[in-house]
Amino acid sequence: MNGSTDVTPELQHEVEQWYYREARLLDGRQYQTWLGLCAEDIRYVMPGRSNPLVDNAERGREEMICVDRELEGVESDGLPIRDETYPFLAMRVGRAYAPNSWAENPPARTRRIIGNVEIREVDTAQLSITSNFHLFFSRPGSADFLYAGQRRDVLRRAEGGFRLASREVVMDLADIEVPTLGLFF
Amino acid sequence: MRTRVRDVVNDDATLIGRRAWSDPEIYELEKRGIFGRSWLFLAHESQIRNPGDYVQAYMCETPIIVARGPDGKVHASVNSCTHRGLPVCRTDHGNTNGFVCPYHAWSYDVTGRLRGIPQEKQVRKRPDKSRLGLKKVPRVESWSGMIFGSFDEEIESLDDYLGDMKFYLGAFFDRFPQGVEFVGSPQRWVINANWKLPMENQLGDVNHGPFLHASVIPPEANQEIIEHGVSVVPGGGHGATFRLMPEGTEVDKVAWGFEAMSTLLAGPEVHEYLREIQARAQERVGPIRSRIKGLTFGVFPNLSFLWSNTAFKVSHPRGPGRVEYWSWSVVPADAPDEIKKVLRGNHTSFFGPGGILEQEDSEAWMQQFLGANIDFADDRPFFYGLGEGEEGPHPDMPGLVSSTANEFYAREFFKRWRIALEAVEDPR
Repeated sequence: MNGSTDVTPELQHEVEQWYYREARLLDGRQYQTWLGLCAEDIRYVMPGRSNPLVDNAERGREEMICVDRELEGVESDGLPIRDETYPFLAMRVGRAYAPNSWAENPPARTRRIIGNVEIREVDTAQLSITSNFHLFFSRPGSADFLYAGQRRDVLRRAEGGFRLASREVVMDLADIEVPTLGLFF
Repeated sequence: MRTRVRDVVNDDATLIGRRAWSDPEIYELEKRGIFGRSWLFLAHESQIRNPGDYVQAYMCETPIIVARGPDGKVHASVNSCTHRGLPVCRTDHGNTNGFVCPYHAWSYDVTGRLRGIPQEKQVRKRPDKSRLGLKKVPRVESWSGMIFGSFDEEIESLDDYLGDMKFYLGAFFDRFPQGVEFVGSPQRWVINANWKLPMENQLGDVNHGPFLHASVIPPEANQEIIEHGVSVVPGGGHGATFRLMPEGTEVDKVAWGFEAMSTLLAGPEVHEYLREIQARAQERVGPIRSRIKGLTFGVFPNLSFLWSNTAFKVSHPRGPGRVEYWSWSVVPADAPDEIKKVLRGNHTSFFGPGGILEQEDSEAWMQQFLGANIDFADDRPFFYGLGEGEEGPHPDMPGLVSSTANEFYAREFFKRWRIALEAVEDPR
C-alpha cells in the first residue's frame, strides 16, 4: 500500500483526467482511439460473481461477508465471464465498425460516470487504481439498463500519459438481465 | 382453450405458428407434456464428486437440488420445504451435510430426508418425518457422466431416450482418455425470448452463422461448412451438426474445431495438446467419428452442446417470453490446468453473457419473440420447409443425414413437440 505522500494532488488530477477522457471516448463510440490507450499485453477480465451464503466459520469478522469470496476470476477454478487479451479486444473493436453487428445496429447509447478514483499503489513504472462506475445503457425497443461495478486497474506510465495494462471489472449484478456484458467498461 | 396444438404445427412441421412461441396456454401444455415427461439434464458427475457436494438445477421452472449422498449415490430433490415451501438450498453449489429452511428451521439431509422439526417437542402428536422429506425426482440416471432427471416414473431408460444421439455425443466425450469435466458453476443470464429458439439454434441451425455473425466469423469458416457440413437427426427430436472432414485430412484441420483459438487465445502448448488428442481419435472413437469436427448438438427438449466452444447449455423456460440460459464450460479431464483455462476462455469470450457472438444470438432471439407475439398474423406461420425431403440414411452413421441447410432438425423437433403436447391437451 502506498503512503499518502506518494499520491500528490497532481498525480490524482492526472489519473482522473485520464479516466474522464477514456469515458468520453467509450461513450462517444471511439473504440479505435480507446484501444490505443491499452497496452499490447493487456489482460482484460470480468470475474464471474457467484452468490454464496456468508461464511459462518468467519462469523464476527469482516471476512465473513467480503466481496472477494464471491468472485470467480481467471486464477480460480470457476468460470470468469470474460478473460481477454489485446487481440480479443481488437476483435471487439473491429466488430463495432463492421456492417453486420446487428445487436449494435442501431448502436446502443451509453453514458458512464467514473468516480471514487483511488490510487492504491504507486511505483515508478505503474499505478494500481480502483474506480467505480455507473453506466446507463439504452437502445430502441428495449428497457433501459444500469450497470454498476468496480474497476481494478493497473495503469502503466507511457509517453504522453498512461497505458491500461490490466483491468478487472467487478460487476454488481446478482442476476444478469442486461442485454450484454460484452461492452467496454 | 383457444389454440389447438394441431393448428400451430402442421403435420409435416413445415409451418410453425406464432402461438407456439408466445401463447401462455401452449406454455402450460409444454410444462406438462414436455418438461413433466422428458429426461432433463441436471448436472455432470464432475460437479459433485464427494459426499455432501451439491449443485442447483431446474426442471422447467421447478428448482432442484442435485447432491451426492453419504451413500455415494446421486439424489435429486425439489428445492422447496415441505412445511411452507421456501427453498431450503440457497446457493448455486457447495458442500454441506444438510439444508435448513430459514423460516422455521426444518432441516433436511442432502438426500432430501427430513431430519428435524424444531417445534415437534412442543406438540402432542409428532409428525411422521419419514413422509415429509423433500419431494424426490422419481427417476435419476446418468450417461457418460451426464446426470438427468425425470418427473415421469414410467419414462423409458435414459439410455433408450438418448438412443443414437449417444453415437454423436460419444464422438466428443470418448475422444479424451479421462472424459470431460464441467468447470465451476454455469454462467446464467436472462433473455426475453422463448426457450425453444436457443434450443433450435443449437439443434442444427448453423444456417444463421454466415449472416447473423458476419461481423466476426470469417468467410472461410463458412466455406468449410458448405463443403463438409452435415446435419443429423438421430431420432427423438435430438439433432447434431458437424463437419465430416474427408478421409486423410491432416490432423490440424480436424483437431476439434476451435477456429478462434489459433490467433486469439492459444499458445503452442494448446495446439500440441489438441493435435495429440486428434492423432489418437481414430483408435478412441473409430474411423468415422474421428473425422467429426463438431458444430452444435441438441438433446430434446432443452439441452445443447456447442462443440467448437465446448459449452453445454440448458434453456430453462421462465414463461413464454423469457428464458434463463445456463452455460457451462466443459474441458478434457486429463488436460493440464493451463490448457483447461484457455479452453474455458474459448467458451466465455465468445459465448455466455459477455460473449462476442452471443450478443447477436440473444438479440435475434428477443426479436423473434416480438415477431411471434403480434396479432393479426396467425395466418402467417413461420416457414420451416427448407430442404424438405432431402434427408436420408448414411452408410456409416445412424439417423437421417442431410446438408446443414435442410431444416429437418427443427421439423423433427416440432413433430415430437406436437405429439408431446397433444398427449396432454384436453379432448374437445
